[in-house]
Amino acid sequence: MENPYIPVPVKAKKITVESDDKTLRTYDLVFCNEEERFEFLPGQFCQLSILGKGEAPFGIASSPTEKEFLKFTVNRVGVVTTAIHWLEEGEPIGLRGPLGNSYPVEKFKGCNVVIIGGGFAFTTLRALTVYLLAKRQDFKDITVIYGARRPGLLLYQNELAQWEKRDDLKLHLTIDEAVSGWNKRVGFVPTVTKEVAPSPQNAWVVVCGPPIMIKYTLPVLSELEFPPERIYTSLERRMKCGVGKCGRCNIGPKYVCVDGPVFSYAELQKLPMEE
Amino acid sequence: MAAFKIKKKRLKELIDSLTKEYRVFIPVESDGVSSFKEVTSDSHLPTINSHNTDRPPKEIFFPQTETLFTYKEGKISPPEQPNTKYRTPNTDKIAIFGASPCDVKSFSLLDRLFGMERNVAKCSGYKDAYWINRRTNALIFTIGCNYPLSTCFCNWLNGGPFTKEGSDLLLTDIGEDFLVEPCSQNGEEFIKTKGLPIQKAAKVDIKRASTVRKEAESTLSEPVDITSLKEGLDTLWDNPVWNEIAYKCLSCAACSYLCPTCYCFDIQDERAGNARGKRIRVWDSCMFSLFTKEASGHNPRPSSKERMRQRIMHKFNYFVENLGDFGCVGCGRCIRSCPVNMDIREVINTIKNVKLTISNEK
Repeated sequence: MENPYIPVPVKAKKITVESDDKTLRTYDLVFCNEEERFEFLPGQFCQLSILGKGEAPFGIASSPTEKEFLKFTVNRVGVVTTAIHWLEEGEPIGLRGPLGNSYPVEKFKGCNVVIIGGGFAFTTLRALTVYLLAKRQDFKDITVIYGARRPGLLLYQNELAQWEKRDDLKLHLTIDEAVSGWNKRVGFVPTVTKEVAPSPQNAWVVVCGPPIMIKYTLPVLSELEFPPERIYTSLERRMKCGVGKCGRCNIGPKYVCVDGPVFSYAELQKLPMEE
Repeated sequence: MAAFKIKKKRLKELIDSLTKEYRVFIPVESDGVSSFKEVTSDSHLPTINSHNTDRPPKEIFFPQTETLFTYKEGKISPPEQPNTKYRTPNTDKIAIFGASPCDVKSFSLLDRLFGMERNVAKCSGYKDAYWINRRTNALIFTIGCNYPLSTCFCNWLNGGPFTKEGSDLLLTDIGEDFLVEPCSQNGEEFIKTKGLPIQKAAKVDIKRASTVRKEAESTLSEPVDITSLKEGLDTLWDNPVWNEIAYKCLSCAACSYLCPTCYCFDIQDERAGNARGKRIRVWDSCMFSLFTKEASGHNPRPSSKERMRQRIMHKFNYFVENLGDFGCVGCGRCIRSCPVNMDIREVINTIKNVKLTISNEK
């Protein structure tokens, strides 16, 4: 019988300091045993494990179309994430996954997709964007709205620069307050969403970010007449097992680890508000 | 199904014969606390209480602490066998002799969560290897409760002092003998074992058992109808009643540690030096604030109100929705153990009354 609690060994092929305050690092992980590589979809997550320190869940930031590595961006905040930040390239780390459900990319086919992100919650949105671009002909317009407090906190800046040059993707970058040298949008994500005003016609929207951003973006999307069934988001909760057993990540009867982390706004409206 | 009987004074022979094939767990009283202990060479006789034990037998299949795997120099080794401190070298099959019907029902409920059921979809598709290893081929001898306690309310939850759900054999205390009724295929098979100190029951034994059961059932208080409790709770999320219910709770978690159906656990790493250690799982409780506290400091259940609501909702609403039954067997241990005399029966009644008031106002 498969034992869902046993991690497989992976190692960091490349580690990038992602933000100017050094609290975010990105890890390109490779499997130590090639046969343990798995299929997944954008939106799924894994448990990363430092033996002796513990495990924590992270959204997969790479697209399944990027076969050479699994990407994770880790915010240093607790015991496990600090231990991950101590890792050096080539050092081993444990991984369990892929866990949870994914963004409904099959439903997106032939439709416009709007991706709205804030801060370091852009990880699985990167996975989604790269996935959509890799299968570009399957989808219509792709719009990405991405904001951070300041320029140095935007993730994946080299890629953002490349995306800006593309004519098959509309990228709107924004920061909270104007700083010298920034010539793009300034303003909070909900406000910018209102300005950009993506059309709900034949469209799906995925929104991820800090709770406060989600809270103020959802009404904007409703105003733009996106139906709740077409708005998706990804939730986070304290997790341990990741497989629906340990009993802590539930919101009402739904477990974020197995019923989520991706939920439609319509599904969330049926759940009790547990902040 | 045919019924058998065994003389009480020959129980030791039965348990001895079980130990040849099984690790056998029996109720034992020690320092005034009854719990299940493994039969060793110098302990063979169960303490028959005629009601449930102080500690539930849950820990036989789901130990309070267990190793998920050990690691040494980066290499991970899962335990080959379920690794309890009780393990004997020759046998890993588990027999429990003398569990009460409520506790045996709790095994069936937890089977659904951990993936023993045929319907794996119910358990999110992931099977828990540790639980299943211990549960597979386990043989359960249930002893019905001749004298249910004043805190027992199994009859509110489709249970009773002699129900059979989850049992392989049901024993009824009829004086000098136990009436023995096989109630599963495993139980039927076992009864065919050669040399067991049992004999066919006579009509008079069966009649006696039926009287004992009726008497036991009559001592339970009238059951409260909770068939619509799940639906009632659907509407009470924002109700101020949770403040009232949680007001005196100390968040000590005695209720969940002694609950046969509470299963929430934590996973932790224990280091023994730099290069080796183990990952363990330990019982946890939704009554603790740390249970859901995130690294950022944010806690979706910051006060005892949210945590009490979670516990009640989980047992009487989410469990029903996800696993098809109430997550409570009415054993009454939470009532007996609560340091501030919280009574889950009163909680249920309070909820029912609030619901009633709301419907009347409409």
